[in-house]
Amino acid sequence: MTKSRKANRFTKKAKNGRYVFRLFMAGKGQNSTTALANLRNICKEHLEGRHTIETIDVVNDFQAAVKHNILVTPALILVTPLPKVMILGNLSDVPKVLQALRISGGAE
Amino acid sequence: MHGKRRPIPKVPTQITGLDQILEGGLPRKRTTLVCGGPGSGKTVMGLEFLCRGAIAGEAGVFVTFEERTEAVRMNARSMGWNLAAMEKAGRIVIVEARMPGQEVRSGDFDIDGILAIVGGHAKKIGAKRIVLDALDVLLRVYDDVKRERSELERLHDWLADRGLTTVLTVKTHLNDANFQTHYEFLDFMADCVIRLDHRVVGQVATRRLRVIKYRGSGFGTNEYPYVFGEHGIVLFPLTTTELTHQPLGPKISSGLKGLDRMLDGGFRRTSCILISGNSGAGKTTLASTFALAACRRGEKVLSLNFEESKEALISGMLSAGIDLRRSIRSKKLLIQTAMPESTGSDGHLIRTIEALDKFKPNHLILDAVSACLRMGSEQAAFDFMMRLVSNVKERGITSILTNQVNSETGGDEELSGIGFSSVVDAVVQLRFVETENEVNRQIFIVKSRGSAHSNRRQRYVITDRGVEFPDEPQPPSAIARKLSRKGGRK
Repeated sequence: MTKSRKANRFTKKAKNGRYVFRLFMAGKGQNSTTALANLRNICKEHLEGRHTIETIDVVNDFQAAVKHNILVTPALILVTPLPKVMILGNLSDVPKVLQALRISGGAE
Repeated sequence: MHGKRRPIPKVPTQITGLDQILEGGLPRKRTTLVCGGPGSGKTVMGLEFLCRGAIAGEAGVFVTFEERTEAVRMNARSMGWNLAAMEKAGRIVIVEARMPGQEVRSGDFDIDGILAIVGGHAKKIGAKRIVLDALDVLLRVYDDVKRERSELERLHDWLADRGLTTVLTVKTHLNDANFQTHYEFLDFMADCVIRLDHRVVGQVATRRLRVIKYRGSGFGTNEYPYVFGEHGIVLFPLTTTELTHQPLGPKISSGLKGLDRMLDGGFRRTSCILISGNSGAGKTTLASTFALAACRRGEKVLSLNFEESKEALISGMLSAGIDLRRSIRSKKLLIQTAMPESTGSDGHLIRTIEALDKFKPNHLILDAVSACLRMGSEQAAFDFMMRLVSNVKERGITSILTNQVNSETGGDEELSGIGFSSVVDAVVQLRFVETENEVNRQIFIVKSRGSAHSNRRQRYVITDRGVEFPDEPQPPSAIARKLSRKGGRK
């Protein structure tokens, strides 16, 4: 569970405007890998150098799914900045994702 | 019965009556769909399947998409199962799967989260049984029938790969015209489909179970009534058809010498006898006379009373010189009373069947058919009477039913009250007859299958020594006897 400890560290860093993401995936499933790729692209384009992505594979760690009530995958949680946001799906609708994450379309 | 088909492996549910209908139980390592409207008992059926499994040594996972874990535990507790203890013992895990609500959706997703959770728990406790309760709630996260379908197929494969015996429950909505097409593929996917129906007939709730399909197995195809008993669901599979009825047996005394003479020796064993008459004519007295005589011969009588309390019956009969107390003490006579309104006809039926199983009487007395109408409707009363009479006939039990008629004469059309006269073998009519300045009682044998009987109306009185005949009753005429011997004995 080093990952979650790491996540806490990231959370502290977030005070200086860092975006901390937790992405729940199901192994190498199509939707899960697509979601990770889409998230990486979004970060690259809009949050260069100000983001952290933590991935959790629910197939290997079902207790994490229990703990966070993850019934469908992929599921993205924006841990910080608060308030928390959860987005379900492979993140293919980028404008919708940006809006949900409170990131204005790249303008800043 | 089913040729040389090799029976498929089954898991007994141990739900009372269900395994008989399913010819052994649910298909092992396969999926069963249980669907029904709200309040039909889908959750209880799923829970009972798991609890009985847990007791028998098969662990299980219960996934609820609708209720809180605590609500599920309470639901189980009301049926007498201690889920918390079974959870503690690692026999059952309850997964509360609250479906996402306002979360943003962007693009496609899978139900792998819930599969991971179920799979993780199942592996941990070595589960063999899975119940997914209110699966429709899970499927509703998709706004797309095609996606629902493909995810379901994946779920189905996933369960099959793990060799889990699964019960899926799905809520059906009466007003949803699309439902049938919507969930058609569910019916197709499952190996066994059970439909629960909860309807209200004449203000009384009645529940019916029907098996729609069972791949690779025979099953009972009727609609079966069920109730929630003290320890779960109780089904009542009738082997139906009169083919299994026991033939009418030898003559037994009615308890009255005079009446026996009119009946050419008495009633026939295993027959269904209806005593019909106005209020106060002496129907209960006549039935009790029969019961007492039977008990004195060492036979057992179950008396179902829908009209008055046990105490009222005993004291009422005492005033007519019929002392039932000794027979009750010696456990020859069992009086079971109930308000007809207290439960639906299914509840009464199952209670009676339980008593028949336990007490194993030779004779049954039911007082009164007319009161059974208060079980809800004429249909409910008819169902109750038909099933009860059919059941006692299969057991070879003689039944005496009383029926109160309200017309002055006690017309023939009212003899059986609710039209089940085809199963009635003998009808005894009691009535008041007014002459110039007195009212007399008369008894008349309307019919007596497989036996000659007197064709006379016979005057009788009820004294503190019971029913008496002031004039010696005459036996049936020689002609009647001859006719009866020729064609009567079926």
